[in-house]
Amino acid sequence: MDFTEFHEELRSTAREVLAGNAGAPPGGGGAAGPPQDTQAEWRQFADLGWTGIEVPEALGGAGATFAEAAVLLQEMGRSVTSSPYLGTATHGVGTLNLLAAHPDRDVLLHDVATGRRRLAVPLTDVDGDPPEDVAPFRLQESGPGLRLHGRSMFVPDAPDADGLLIVAIDPDGRPVTVHLDADSAGLAVTPQPVLDLTRRFGAVVADGVEVGSESVLRFAGDPAKAVRLLWDRAALSIACDSLGLSEAMLTATVSYACSRAQFGRPIGSFQAVKHACANMLVKISVARSLLSCAVRQLVAVDDDRAAVLMAKSYVCTTAVEIAGSALQLHGGIGYTWDSGVHTYLKRAALNRSLFGSPVYYHKRLAERYVYRARRRVETEVPPE
Amino acid sequence: MNDSSVEQDGFRDAVRTWCRINVPAGWRQAQTGISDDEFVAFQRSWFATLRDAGYAVPHWPGEWGGGMSIAHQIVLFQELAAHDAPRLVLAFVGIHHAAATLLAAGTDEQRQRHLPAILQGEVWCQGFSEPDAGSDLAALSTKARRVADGYAVDGQKVWVSGAMHADWCLLLARTDPDLPKQAGLSYFLMDMKAPGIEVRPIRQATGESHFCEVFLNDVRIPAAHLVGEENAGWRVARATLSAERGMTMLELAERLGNGFRWLLDTCAQPRSDGERAIDSAAVQDRLAALETEITGLRCLCRDLVERIESGRAGPADASIAKLFYSELLQRMTDFGAEVSGLAAHTVLQKPRSSGWESGAWMLDFISSWEWTIPGGTSEIQRTIIGERGLGLPRGS
Repeated sequence: MDFTEFHEELRSTAREVLAGNAGAPPGGGGAAGPPQDTQAEWRQFADLGWTGIEVPEALGGAGATFAEAAVLLQEMGRSVTSSPYLGTATHGVGTLNLLAAHPDRDVLLHDVATGRRRLAVPLTDVDGDPPEDVAPFRLQESGPGLRLHGRSMFVPDAPDADGLLIVAIDPDGRPVTVHLDADSAGLAVTPQPVLDLTRRFGAVVADGVEVGSESVLRFAGDPAKAVRLLWDRAALSIACDSLGLSEAMLTATVSYACSRAQFGRPIGSFQAVKHACANMLVKISVARSLLSCAVRQLVAVDDDRAAVLMAKSYVCTTAVEIAGSALQLHGGIGYTWDSGVHTYLKRAALNRSLFGSPVYYHKRLAERYVYRARRRVETEVPPE
Repeated sequence: MNDSSVEQDGFRDAVRTWCRINVPAGWRQAQTGISDDEFVAFQRSWFATLRDAGYAVPHWPGEWGGGMSIAHQIVLFQELAAHDAPRLVLAFVGIHHAAATLLAAGTDEQRQRHLPAILQGEVWCQGFSEPDAGSDLAALSTKARRVADGYAVDGQKVWVSGAMHADWCLLLARTDPDLPKQAGLSYFLMDMKAPGIEVRPIRQATGESHFCEVFLNDVRIPAAHLVGEENAGWRVARATLSAERGMTMLELAERLGNGFRWLLDTCAQPRSDGERAIDSAAVQDRLAALETEITGLRCLCRDLVERIESGRAGPADASIAKLFYSELLQRMTDFGAEVSGLAAHTVLQKPRSSGWESGAWMLDFISSWEWTIPGGTSEIQRTIIGERGLGLPRGS
């Protein structure tokens, strides 16, 4: 099925709405801080069908896939949108959709689609990296009940979440999802201020939170596979954001280079500036193709998801280079707070570190090389 | 990277089986240190083998012997690369540049005459650059004068790859010196056996000599061998360039993907002390960055070809692919040379008929400039991308 037309429509609606909300000037910025009325914006996102884009139609959502969510994520990067979309609609719905059928699951999906409930999903360890052993939380038996222990940092949108979906290892060693209200006793969600003012993170600490068995939701298929998929979704959603903000930076830079004159001509007519802009476009073109290939792999639930690892590291690395070039080519103006270019640079650099750094993904890719080399040695016939 | 519908139709298995039977065993050794005649004979026979299987011109329209879907072409190029098949070097300009030109701008008669002939092994070269017209190609001064039954051509071409083996030449020449630069050029099909053509090979940085100077002294070209209108040569050359570039890139990107496996093998070779480059974290990081870029190139080329096919290609798309490919080839072969150390410098010859990444890393590295300079240097590509792709103002 060809979604090209639908994607284009979604893209142009999103671009218009988000640009209107941010009131972004052509210089690329203005979004130095979060908008004043976040509640109203969230309601608007729900009315547009965005919060429930991946929620099944029967539960009030649009019944679309991550490929469509990716379009929105990219546009939110382009306008450096500040909203709990990532935590709720990407991570929250992504988790719920992987769970086995359960009435609570359906209520949650419906509440997200209508904009009534905001969620956060702690996936990272205390450094904000992928945890060594699948999930950063443990469910332990305690008398007749269960208690939750663990810590996760840099959890997107945790401070504003009404509920948390905590991926934890149950007493049998299986990953499960624990749904808790944000104000549950023993659960602490502490805001973690960062330089990028468009994003909200929280540290989530569970210190023996009492968990009723009704709050434990099981994954539908292989739970380890489900957690990997959640992680890949988280990584790719950040890559989408970085691609969008890269595109915004190129557009702003080209427009500035056409209007700003020095030595009696637009600076964009100088080869040094022109070639720097060309380099930005080349990187964006490669990033876009790599990312759409990775999104296809993710949606197809392809076992080989090397493109996902590559897209996260490449798109997020180049986004920092592109935002950096944009600041450089804007000259002194680019360095001012009011130009807003810094907002993009900070968000790009944050994205690069969020959900696994380029070094982390390179390491994971390289494990395949070492494995391949070992296998080749083993299959060689030993000398007589 | 793989298209699931194609994976199910058995095409990949068919190509694999074909490769196992048909890729000549030991061709790399056999093609190392050989004469031009042996190289030409090998290329001709490999071309015929591919053609008989329907694999030589998959990108041509079906009526001329091609008609393979893009997804199938990708599988074909992947498998040819994976089975280390020789590349079509001699036929390259014919099946890509000449065919794209004839299909886009040629007359029915020209197509009838040449497309089947190319399938029978007719070899082509491209005479565009001149000593004083490199990056500024439109400044070329080779003149084609009107004579009774056609044109008489005088001038000098340079960097004509494979001219010594070519039967025909794609020629750009000036038909009206009074019109401004681009406007006075015409596009010709020139018979290389015509009197008045002298070919002199140039020795390149690698020591090989496939580029040539071509001297044209009152060479007669019949009027029927003009492609497009007189003085419309620049338009013909530009129109065919991007179509041709997308198709060649598809193959080259898959070759580069396979070349990465050679690079992994190089890094897995134990040195005398038993240490291997691949066990170093620094090497692993650079390999992963390269693999990422190569995969990006493969995705980019696939998207590019799909856009060309559906008429949605942007004005700078071909330049973006060429620029990224050529500089990535240079980075990868450079890394191959670095990681192989002094051993790379003891490989004095690379096999002919191989890809741009043969595993003879030092020679591969040097020959990578054959991609960053010809066909528009990287600097020219960046200017094209800035002006046509982004709409930046031209320099004064």
